[in-house]
Amino acid sequence: MTKRKVIKVVLIVVAIGIAAAASIVLYLFNKPHRDVQSADVNFTLTASDLVQEYLTDPKAGNLKYLDDSGDSKIIAVTGTVRSISRDMNNQLVVLLQDDGDKAGVSCTFSAATNAAAEKLTAGQTVTIKGVIRSGAGYDADLDLYEDVIIEKSDILNP
Amino acid sequence: MKKLTYLLMISATFLAFAAFRPVAGKLVTKAGHISFFSHTAVEDITANNYKVVSTLETETGNVAFSVPMQSFEFEKSLMQEHFNSKDFLNTKEFPKAKFEGKIANLSAVDFSKDGTYEVSVSGNLTIKDVTKPITEKGTITVKGGVVNAKTKFNLVLGDYGVTFKKGKPSTNIAKEIEVTLNADYQGE
Repeated sequence: MTKRKVIKVVLIVVAIGIAAAASIVLYLFNKPHRDVQSADVNFTLTASDLVQEYLTDPKAGNLKYLDDSGDSKIIAVTGTVRSISRDMNNQLVVLLQDDGDKAGVSCTFSAATNAAAEKLTAGQTVTIKGVIRSGAGYDADLDLYEDVIIEKSDILNP
Repeated sequence: MKKLTYLLMISATFLAFAAFRPVAGKLVTKAGHISFFSHTAVEDITANNYKVVSTLETETGNVAFSVPMQSFEFEKSLMQEHFNSKDFLNTKEFPKAKFEGKIANLSAVDFSKDGTYEVSVSGNLTIKDVTKPITEKGTITVKGGVVNAKTKFNLVLGDYGVTFKKGKPSTNIAKEIEVTLNADYQGE
């Protein structure tokens, strides 16, 4: 092998390496958001139980349900529809709260799933799938109980 | 006939009172909108969050905000991951940012009269378990019994221990970000 050939091979290898590194960086940079609705459900439980878990031990709740990356656990939660409202991003928000519970589970739908939430009526029992963002708890400054927050929601058909 | 006129008058008076019922007491929202904007020569970054819980007491001027940090949504998923990670906002351990404070010039606001009122709010902001006193200006708008609050202010991330020492975030995220808040309150 001549010296020139060796240089040629080295250059090609380096070029391939740079191209591979650049494409990995580009892929990571433009990586799409996780599609919550097509991902697997991590926990299936009732709105009452989820709220109770957080009221009993919020730290344990955060450890169990939240993730460092922000892609927290995907939950299928069953409860009674207390109210349906619309947020400032034109997304429907369904509050699941059973009688006697101090807080509920606030489920925000999306442009893609709003139509499903529109069909719900107060008092109905429903199972909603979504990603958990934060837990329930009493806040002394607000002087009220905050609901568990679920987003990217859709109705889970049995 | 006289009885009917009387009835009509009573119901008209009642309706008028119902329609112009002054908003008072504790006002609440569970769907406030908060966003932030970071500008650097490299790129502009925006994140939106529509799950702000807030209360406003019209008699005392007390205000409180609770912001679920994982509800901030970014255009790029990598930015959202950075934001939530242990190195930056550590949202698994500190899932909420909080503010509690008071409207300093409460007498300037007439919650029973439609109008736009400039307010100054002072209190404590807690992000990532670091609490700092802040005073910011805002606008309260009363219209047909609905109370809206808006504010826009700058926040130095380093004040709350949010620092970017190396890599992309240190060059692509501004040291000072612009925070915008918009909340429609309702009676409790």
